[in-house]
Amino acid sequence: MRLLVSWVRDFVAVTASPEEIAERLGLRGFEVASIEPAPDGVLPPWQQAAAGADAVIDFEVTANRPDCLSVIGFARELSTLYDVPLHAWPMPAGTAAAAAAPDSSLPVVDVRLDDPERCPRYAAAMASVTPTTSPRWMTARLEAAGVRPISPVVDITNYVLLELGHPMHAFDFSRLGGGQLRIRRATAGEAITTLDGVTRTLDPEMLVIADAGQAQAVAGVMGGGRSEVSSTTQVVAFESAYFQPSSVRRTSKRLQLKTEASARFERGTDVNAPVVAINRALALMEAIGAGRRGAVIDRYPVPRGPLAMTLRRARIGLILGLTVPDAEVERILRRLGLTVAAAADGWLVEVPTFRVDLLREIDLIEEVGRHYGFEKLEPSFPAMTLAAAAADVRIPRDRAIRTTLAAAGLTEAVTFGFIEGATARQFVTDADASQIVAIANPLTALFDVLRPSLVPGLLDALAHNRRHGRRDVALFEIGARFGAAAGERRGVGIAWTGAIAPHWSGSGRDVDFFDLKGVIERLCDVLHVPVQWHPTTAPYLTPGQSAAVFCGPSAIGVAGLVLPKIVDGRGAPKQDKVYVAELDLESLAAAQLANPAGESVQPLPRFPSSVRDLSFVVAERLSAESIRGTIQAAAAAAPAPLVSMVFFDRYKGKGVADDSVSLSVRLTFQAPGRTLTDVEAQQSFDMIVAALVREHGALQR
Amino acid sequence: MSLPDQASVTAQLAAFTADLAQAGSLRDAQAVRDRFLGRKNSVVASWMAMIGGAPPADKKAIGQRANELKQAIEALWSEYQARAEQNSRPAGAIDVTLPGRVPPLGRRHPLTLVRDRMEAIFTRMGFAIVEGPEVEDEWHCFDALNMPAEHPARDMQDTLYLAAPVVGESGRPDDTRTMLRTHTSSIQVRYMQAHEPPIRIVAPGRVYRRDDLDLTHTPMFSQMEGLAVGEGISLADLKGTLTAFAREMFSPSARVRFRPSFFPYTEPSAEIDISCWQCDGGGCPMCKRTGWIEIGGCGMVHPAVFEAVGYDPERYTGFAFGIGIERVTILRHRVQDIRLFFENDLRFLEQFPY
Repeated sequence: MRLLVSWVRDFVAVTASPEEIAERLGLRGFEVASIEPAPDGVLPPWQQAAAGADAVIDFEVTANRPDCLSVIGFARELSTLYDVPLHAWPMPAGTAAAAAAPDSSLPVVDVRLDDPERCPRYAAAMASVTPTTSPRWMTARLEAAGVRPISPVVDITNYVLLELGHPMHAFDFSRLGGGQLRIRRATAGEAITTLDGVTRTLDPEMLVIADAGQAQAVAGVMGGGRSEVSSTTQVVAFESAYFQPSSVRRTSKRLQLKTEASARFERGTDVNAPVVAINRALALMEAIGAGRRGAVIDRYPVPRGPLAMTLRRARIGLILGLTVPDAEVERILRRLGLTVAAAADGWLVEVPTFRVDLLREIDLIEEVGRHYGFEKLEPSFPAMTLAAAAADVRIPRDRAIRTTLAAAGLTEAVTFGFIEGATARQFVTDADASQIVAIANPLTALFDVLRPSLVPGLLDALAHNRRHGRRDVALFEIGARFGAAAGERRGVGIAWTGAIAPHWSGSGRDVDFFDLKGVIERLCDVLHVPVQWHPTTAPYLTPGQSAAVFCGPSAIGVAGLVLPKIVDGRGAPKQDKVYVAELDLESLAAAQLANPAGESVQPLPRFPSSVRDLSFVVAERLSAESIRGTIQAAAAAAPAPLVSMVFFDRYKGKGVADDSVSLSVRLTFQAPGRTLTDVEAQQSFDMIVAALVREHGALQR
Repeated sequence: MSLPDQASVTAQLAAFTADLAQAGSLRDAQAVRDRFLGRKNSVVASWMAMIGGAPPADKKAIGQRANELKQAIEALWSEYQARAEQNSRPAGAIDVTLPGRVPPLGRRHPLTLVRDRMEAIFTRMGFAIVEGPEVEDEWHCFDALNMPAEHPARDMQDTLYLAAPVVGESGRPDDTRTMLRTHTSSIQVRYMQAHEPPIRIVAPGRVYRRDDLDLTHTPMFSQMEGLAVGEGISLADLKGTLTAFAREMFSPSARVRFRPSFFPYTEPSAEIDISCWQCDGGGCPMCKRTGWIEIGGCGMVHPAVFEAVGYDPERYTGFAFGIGIERVTILRHRVQDIRLFFENDLRFLEQFPY
């Protein structure tokens, strides 16, 4: 709202500078966007003795205060702020309302209110038009407010809109078929060409102002071109109505047409303003010699009065934590235009219809606090009556993941929760493509689906770094992934490429699968979740170099080498070896509950262990997993308990056949209650060797 | 050859120091020492030799000069030896100045660092940290927060809707989600539905708006919302709580200013201004010469919100606040462009502490 300071001085005797007014209203809920000099010639004849410096202050008006989309609204605020009275009725002097007798020669418009629900009040007035031009003070005020002057009749409706906040419309009466204004619903498919020259198709949910034949205006939104006032108009029919906010809102939304009028109607205008506004328009018309007034017609089947509510003294103190003197409470509410009467434990307050935002006691308390001044609040601290609740379990878990991964050299990334659909589909199987969640109203195709995986975003971040000269990139992210049936699931993703920290003591080495696997194993160890690894395939991973991570029977994640074409598609060099992994944290959380860490410690072993190293040659295609299984199964039946098994060497080359591999494993035997004998350890060792020979044709070295 | 005088001593000492500095090895240095101090053919030896042939009146002076030179050189030499001792490398010595084998270290994202810091401050004030889903239903995001359908405030937050509903975390068929949350206030609603007052929580998380990505806007950002509900909680308590937060987060002398504003779910509502920690409110470029910096919005929980979750608004009052984590990070760390948070450029991320 662009407020011309000299205009508001029509209503309140406030001589403060525009800067001071801006600053003080800024602390009363009206943020200041700018202060600009007032245009030339803006002072009206009745204000020639300037009451103070002038300027245009552009205030931001919050959605709850449609009454302040007007000069009068700000006048009430200033009247409260400076504790000065509000002038009953503004100038121009000598043109008080109803000064002149109506021109009885004018025709009378036939107003038919068919839909009092969507239009609770409709006022109309006739006026004859005398060709003239708007005076400079009027056009200057309009310009100051950002409205282009057009013709006296249109300028007057705009002037009243800005001054009183009430939208009006003017019809060329000669264009109204049957001399009629009928407020009715549009018929299905009914068309109207609005003032902007666009032909719009209406539906029966929309309210129109029609003549005997057709729609002449979309109620509360925009007038029609057919009955637009022009230089040849001789008689106008002014409309000043109150339309139901939700009806105007729906219509404006459906027509995708927002206007000054619709913005005000949908936020809520004053149901008791229409006649005031129309009289003001007629008075202005006569004052500037633009015409003469005719009769005012007012269709208002169910008049609405002020809203009464009680305001309790104690409640003010309770909500604000501040004692406001009674006299201040009363002063503030009265200056704002409310009626206040003393009641048992406070006041009975009547809220006039222009304050559509004041609906219950709490709203009055806000008004009292706002104008008494939040700056008077003495900071206090709420009393604790109960111990604080524990944090969400995900908080410490995610913190542990972050510190673990960062300590392993990975840097945390934050990427968007939405990605491009075409990208998303590269990261899911064809069967899962239907599970991708699309956004109904994306702003851009780059963000048109919710991410099914963290991997695409991480690859984009990795590619960004590669394009900016970073050779080694290690990133992780914790965030939500989405699926139609799976819903929202939190995960942790990793993307890694480049070299393992180069050092002068040895040649650098590129990151490989086992670096990635090691970090995930470390992470699962920190979270106390046992995992197994099995080969797998994924649409974006290289076959033979990707694995599924299992916890018990369920897959909780995936890890592997990204396909070159995917790397290329994300904008990183195609030859980059990029390793990625993604774990589902919801599954990890479930596994964590099943394996609580450190609940009770075991006593330290009191008896020595026995260590044996075993080297053997087996077929290369055998997985380490199956050999571990064979060793564990054999040890289970052996006399000496096997407490640890560590693969410490894997050798191919001289002395080992091409399709074979030599493995070395360190076996540690230990019994909880006694010292193992050499015989027992040897016997167990032999049983393991025998099982490896039997199951896998192993050859001991 | 003239007889040595005081100037000769100074000149010889200077020559010795210069020659010693030139010596590349201990052996060279020894040779230098011998040339000045050796028993034969050295400078000192030649001066001593002069005493014999000198006039009797000069003998004593020559002896004194020679002695002076000898003592000075011996002092310099032992100093040199001590230094050499220090610099010599014992067998098996390593160059301790070579770089160490530093285990690789990543960084947490700046938004995480700031969020953790904010969580720590509020945790000490008795607030529990609560999380919630990013895909929401309209009831939790709007209706329960005093924004019924058709409420103009729904337009204030440009919402991203899902093309088809997604199942909620409860898995119940009636629990479906249709939109991305526009604020983390929806977490507060879920928490209030599940708990009775007194309540004191902060709810951090990512939120989504239908916004373009530019210097100051982003379609995804993070918020931390706070909520305290109980008997007798007031706006003054909110001011005290936020003042305590500001003093720890920004500056020990920080002050809080409430500027009246409008949010459908709070009444009264206010914008939270913190006195500029750069100029302590005096006015500087950082606060655009206003002395104040806005960090979020707040207010007293609207009775309609309590009614929606089944609390008695006559018995309970409460405050709520929302602070943008990007905003705080931008202000605290002078980040010039909000997009830096989401580009994940390591040159940016690595500037923050572990």
